[in-house]
Amino acid sequence: MTEVSLIPAEVAARVGTEAARAVGEVNRRDWQRWAVSVGDHNPLWFDADHARAHGYDDVVCPPLFLQYAVLGVTPLGDLRADGSSGAASGNLQFPDAPKRMAGGESTTFHRPAYHRDELTMVRTVESIVEKQGRSGRFVLVTWRTTYTNQRDELVAEATTSMIARP
Amino acid sequence: MTEHPLVEPAPVVEPAPVVEPAETPTPVVEPAETPATAPQVFFEDVAVGTELPPLTVVVDETQMFFFSAATYNGHRIHYDKEWARDKEGYDDVLVQGPLQAALLARAVTDWVGADGRLVTFSVQNRATALPGQELVFGGTVTAARVEDDRGMVELEIAGRRGETVLMPGTATVSLPLRGAR
Repeated sequence: MTEVSLIPAEVAARVGTEAARAVGEVNRRDWQRWAVSVGDHNPLWFDADHARAHGYDDVVCPPLFLQYAVLGVTPLGDLRADGSSGAASGNLQFPDAPKRMAGGESTTFHRPAYHRDELTMVRTVESIVEKQGRSGRFVLVTWRTTYTNQRDELVAEATTSMIARP
Repeated sequence: MTEHPLVEPAPVVEPAPVVEPAETPTPVVEPAETPATAPQVFFEDVAVGTELPPLTVVVDETQMFFFSAATYNGHRIHYDKEWARDKEGYDDVLVQGPLQAALLARAVTDWVGADGRLVTFSVQNRATALPGQELVFGGTVTAARVEDDRGMVELEIAGRRGETVLMPGTATVSLPLRGAR
């Protein structure tokens, strides 16, 4: 007995293609809002004197914030029914697997990012596979992402994944 | 070290523990040493099996709201209880996976201090967490080597709720060598 794939053919065809490209400015206030929402009061993110005393040029963008510096905006009317925007993922649609969850992320940080750095994110679809889990079938989508700054220096590279369930 | 037009000029200070100005309206922090006051950990201080000081957090809906706002996350599953229960079958709204990851990274960057650096960070979302639950973020050293006058330390890290591993992962950190600044 064969089941119909959870992955529409037009979505499967996106493997290997660029899913998203975005440019954004790293902003100190934005990362500080993020940091306090995490309860992360590391003075490297807040105190320029402290950061300089430890070899940085200025206050440093927390490594895990980089991914948010390039987020664009989505008109509220364009959100999915579940409120998510899909902007950063190339808006892959799985009508038969609408419940989406972040899967995992693996990032290598090559150099610090500072206030007003301009980051370019390029995200490609690395794989889309259907898997069988304990609670049934799901789709695992993996993206590969690079972040470069205005001097074309590689700031970070990441592999991220998302799980979509029926 | 000359062009920082965005910050007020300030004298260069020696790498000494930074004293927070008393009047700074800092949000409530867990009763633990902050990275500003904790002594720097050096490569020589760690060995395979060394454990990071665990970070214990009970996420509430206020924190979740601010994290969703800070990450431009409109996903209803994090703020719409009816959606989370009726449409997605959960008991309550869910703590954001990226917030769990950020808390786990915080446990690591707090530990490595101002002279340490997070080099790689890799986590998987394995289980969901609900607001009000006590979550513990920590890690253990699994390998350590010297590379280009820095100590490269491999960690196995995890976010847990009791015995349940919510978010397993690995990280690589770079630590200073004692006396090699």
